[in-house]
Amino acid sequence: MAVDHSMPILVVDDYKTMIRIIRNLLKQIGFDEVDEAADGSEALGKMREKKYGLVISDWNMEPMTGYELLKEVRADEKLQRTPFIMVTAESKTENVIAAKKAGVNNYIVKPFNAQTLKSKIDAVFGD
Amino acid sequence: MTKAKQAHFNKMAVYAESKAGTEPTFADVMKLASLAAESMDAFSQSMDATTYRELREIARYIETMKQEIGMFQANDLKESRIPAAGQELDAVVKATEDATNTIMSSAEALMGAECTDLKAYQALVNDHVMKIFEACSFQDITGQRVAKVVETLQMIENRVGRFAEAVNARDVTGFLDEREAKRAKRAEELLLNGPQLAGKAIDQSKVDDLFGK
Repeated sequence: MAVDHSMPILVVDDYKTMIRIIRNLLKQIGFDEVDEAADGSEALGKMREKKYGLVISDWNMEPMTGYELLKEVRADEKLQRTPFIMVTAESKTENVIAAKKAGVNNYIVKPFNAQTLKSKIDAVFGD
Repeated sequence: MTKAKQAHFNKMAVYAESKAGTEPTFADVMKLASLAAESMDAFSQSMDATTYRELREIARYIETMKQEIGMFQANDLKESRIPAAGQELDAVVKATEDATNTIMSSAEALMGAECTDLKAYQALVNDHVMKIFEACSFQDITGQRVAKVVETLQMIENRVGRFAEAVNARDVTGFLDEREAKRAKRAEELLLNGPQLAGKAIDQSKVDDLFGK
């Protein structure tokens, strides 16, 4: 499956600055349609209204974390096939294993660079 | 105290024996009552001395505790130092956020700049590069603010350490209140470990290994 650069991407993070960074990095690597949400519940609402080609989510947010969002997405028949990348400062092995078990497609540890983001998106879409 | 008690008991026994086989008179009863009262006096005197000594020790301990509690300066910490440290950290967050946004705005302006007019482009680049340099000055001030917070933390550490030693504190497990318990439970269930220090975290290559790449 090739990467479709016109797909809408949902970036979920409670830090506006981080969303801005990811949005700029995505723009640099060719993705222009980027929506944002400040936590898992807002993201879930947006995902139920619009079909996203990819979700890039932080882990630690309130009230709903990225980990809870991932589990909700994988449990929802309509959303469960949406590719999901976790971008987080949670860098303990138990976090990575738990996210993998919950069905995350890839995992990026903050801080990261554009090349890492690009390579993980490529890996998710099999490029 | 035991010797005194024994002596008075003996006196009473001797008196009672001397009167054995005779009808007790009112005077006998009064004599025995007087001996018993003497015995109680001696007992209460020795009790007073012990109680006084113990109370004096308790008073000394309370005085020491009062001094230690005073040295802890809980009001100063609660009303002044800890809120001030919190304000410093808030200022650090704001300064880094402002600087990041300024730098990003400049980077975005440079990325989107038209290069058709070379002079105008050069002026735009110079202007934004200056803004980036200026924004980077946050590092000096935030460094000083963080140093103040570290100083406060060290002060708290010293006072808590001294106080814990003075009262021979032993920790009990559990939480201060329900809110604290809820937060801890949430963090545990949702694996909210937060950023790790260097050496305690896994890097991207180890993450990739876990994903088999």
